Amino acid sequence: MSFHEAKYLNSFFKVSILIIKNKKMKKTNLLTVATLCLALSFTSCSKSDSVECHECHIAFDGTNGEIEVEIGEFCGTALEDVEAPGYTHELTEDYISVDGDTVPAGTYNEIHCEEHADH
Amino acid sequence: MKIFIFSSFFMMNVFTLFSQTKGIILDAYDIPINEVAIFFPDQNILIYSNNDGEFITKLDISDNSYINFFKNGYSSKTLKYKSDLKLKIVLDKLHINLDEIGVTESFNILGNSKLSSIEKKSLKDDFSASSSMIENIAQLSGVDAISSGTGIQKLVVRGLSGMRVVTYLNGMKIENQQWANDHGLGFTDLGLYEVELIKGSSALQYGGEAVGGVIYFKDNPFIISEVMSGYISAKFNNSNFLFGNQIGLKWSKNNFYINFHAQYSLASDYRLPNSTYLFNSRYRNRAIKFSIANRKNKMQNIFRYQYNGDEVGIPAHTHENLENVDIYDITNSNIDFSQDFKVTRPAQFIDNHLVVYENNYFINKSKLSFYLGHFINNLKEYEKWTIPAFDMVLSNTQIRANARTNLDYFTLNIGAQAGLMKNKNNIIKRLIPDANTNDLGFYSTLDYERKQFGLKIGSRLDYKKINSEEQNYDKLFSSLSSSAGIYFKQKSHLLRLTYSGAFRTPHFAELFADGIHHGTNRYELGDSDLTLEKGYQLDLKYQWSNDHFGLVINPFTHNIFDFISINPTDSLYDNSYKIFDYTQFNKVNLSGFEMNLHFHPHSIHSLHFEQSYSFIKTKNYDNDKVLALTPSNKIKTGVKFELEEYNLGLKFKTVSLYHLYSFAQEEIVENETVTDAYNVLNVALSFKLFDQLNVILGVNNLLNEEYVPHLSRVKEVAGGIPNPARSFTINLKYEF
Repeated sequence: MSFHEAKYLNSFFKVSILIIKNKKMKKTNLLTVATLCLALSFTSCSKSDSVECHECHIAFDGTNGEIEVEIGEFCGTALEDVEAPGYTHELTEDYISVDGDTVPAGTYNEIHCEEHADH
Repeated sequence: MKIFIFSSFFMMNVFTLFSQTKGIILDAYDIPINEVAIFFPDQNILIYSNNDGEFITKLDISDNSYINFFKNGYSSKTLKYKSDLKLKIVLDKLHINLDEIGVTESFNILGNSKLSSIEKKSLKDDFSASSSMIENIAQLSGVDAISSGTGIQKLVVRGLSGMRVVTYLNGMKIENQQWANDHGLGFTDLGLYEVELIKGSSALQYGGEAVGGVIYFKDNPFIISEVMSGYISAKFNNSNFLFGNQIGLKWSKNNFYINFHAQYSLASDYRLPNSTYLFNSRYRNRAIKFSIANRKNKMQNIFRYQYNGDEVGIPAHTHENLENVDIYDITNSNIDFSQDFKVTRPAQFIDNHLVVYENNYFINKSKLSFYLGHFINNLKEYEKWTIPAFDMVLSNTQIRANARTNLDYFTLNIGAQAGLMKNKNNIIKRLIPDANTNDLGFYSTLDYERKQFGLKIGSRLDYKKINSEEQNYDKLFSSLSSSAGIYFKQKSHLLRLTYSGAFRTPHFAELFADGIHHGTNRYELGDSDLTLEKGYQLDLKYQWSNDHFGLVINPFTHNIFDFISINPTDSLYDNSYKIFDYTQFNKVNLSGFEMNLHFHPHSIHSLHFEQSYSFIKTKNYDNDKVLALTPSNKIKTGVKFELEEYNLGLKFKTVSLYHLYSFAQEEIVENETVTDAYNVLNVALSFKLFDQLNVILGVNNLLNEEYVPHLSRVKEVAGGIPNPARSFTINLKYEF
């Protein structure tokens, strides 16, 4: 092999190695990006439930099914308190639903804070 | 010194040369076949033949190790390796590809498919090719799913589910509070390669208590490649706006192998055929797993870790009597993208950790296997925002040892299995109490195969102690399970008869349940006097195939004595929840018939037509009625047309169609309602956008059929809540 051939062969291999390196680099970059995206989505989290707020209601067992009496929004430790066993809420006056059902004034311990369907 | 170094170097290379295994794969005309998948199941390694049909590996393959050769369009072959034999494999070109119906030959973890009723399904493309792994597996004959949308799903095998169908993942038994229908599988298709299913109690090595069967999931095998390979996959479904992502990586160097996978999926409430959305059918999943293997000489060590975290909404929840609920009250009119992906209440929070250590050692004609696994399942069910209704940690440690010896025409397996399971409540309120089980089992199976005849016998002795200080309960159960099978093969015909008997001890939940189970909208009451359940199955199989047609006929009958069942009473708890109690029936029977057809027209080689028939009848001899949740009879049809040879644009690969016809189910018990017949049609088109990017576009429930499966968890709520409406899916998989 002449010096000239060797020189261009060397260049050829350098280019080939460069192409391989570029491909490996692209693959590595792609992997890095993909792994980062997945890691980010993996660690993305909803807000801690303990600081969320939810509307609560008294669940009254009426003759035509459950009647809900809204008692307001509760957050954090207040929400824990209202959901704890033994919690009671006082209704100071009768509540009349849109359907005409009456929930009499009194003390109630059946408190629900879960969401319902929007229908 | 130089001579010493040179000699050492020379000897190393000689040693390396002699430690290689190589072979060549040809067709019937001596033409090399490239890209044949060569799977070494005992070593859990997958390699491929090159363009010259050759393969070479530095793996030290012990004699009597199995090697499986497979390529689409060719007959597969499984052989036992012998070091003194040349590996020249001839695979016949097929007009058709008869896979997944037990006609082709392959190695099975669960045993010899000629001697046992074993079905197998590939899961390596499950994430990108199907909307749900459970629904994919339920395409097998005799298999159904209990579900409420795609959030909570579990498998039913010939009418049996829960603890009667034992699930294994990479050698470890999964204990996932599977006694309840609202508790799913506990893991996804992440990193899975295939699943084997044995129907009935024939899997003695794994099947202590598997009265209904064993489902064995296997991870992707390792590869031999110092260039990292893998995939990135994403999918979207517009029924519940599911966004799912997976990544998988594989790499090896010298004798060190590593696989890594991760997943994140998020789904909102699913859409019903009337364009409303079932409130709180949403879910989120996070999973990560890695496997590391090291192989040296004849010893192989594999270490696996897997985490799976689920947050799953419990739809159709109500405080009222289920019969009074209107579907209007439990559905949304539209989706609020800012709110309806968030977890609400009631919901399950499930964290599963699985650690498995596997050691294999090959000596002479034997393979010694040792498994040590630990599975932790933390299940929290919340009805309220801040206080769980129950919070239990179920931890299960299992040790299993097996010795497999091949002696001419015999294969002998001897083994033992020990387990420690502990259920612990983290709060005072509980549905089932703190309790422990310790179990110990010994088994032995012997297979004999020669020419056209095969025989199998096996037995297993189990001891199980259940203890609960809270319940003042301490009892030891013992049982002897057995199985026997015989087959006769003549040319393309195979006839097999199998008998199996298995026993199942009652579970904590069945013994001690006493509380509201919000996930099922009922109050559950156990019975501490329950005894062993005993099941005996007879299974007959005939199969035949030629180049264009394949047929499998499989009738069975299964008697179960002291069958434990949960049934409604006439009482209500707190005027809201119907009380269900666990009782035991003296004798029940499940009998049925399964048939599979494969047809490939001679003139259209690219067209594949597959159809399976599942018929089942149940009987409760105590009251002369049927069993609750008897699956409806079904016809499942798959048509696939391969487009690659037609050189259409966009590199189209296949177009496929799946049709499910479910007969009406009118054989019901008191608390059930009749289910109408229905049709479900799914279509999919797969193609390559670039060389490495595979795309699948699909439509599920193309006809927008409004149907409620008989086994749906929400069938008895609001007159029956339908399954998802017509939906469009797009799945992308980039492989590198």
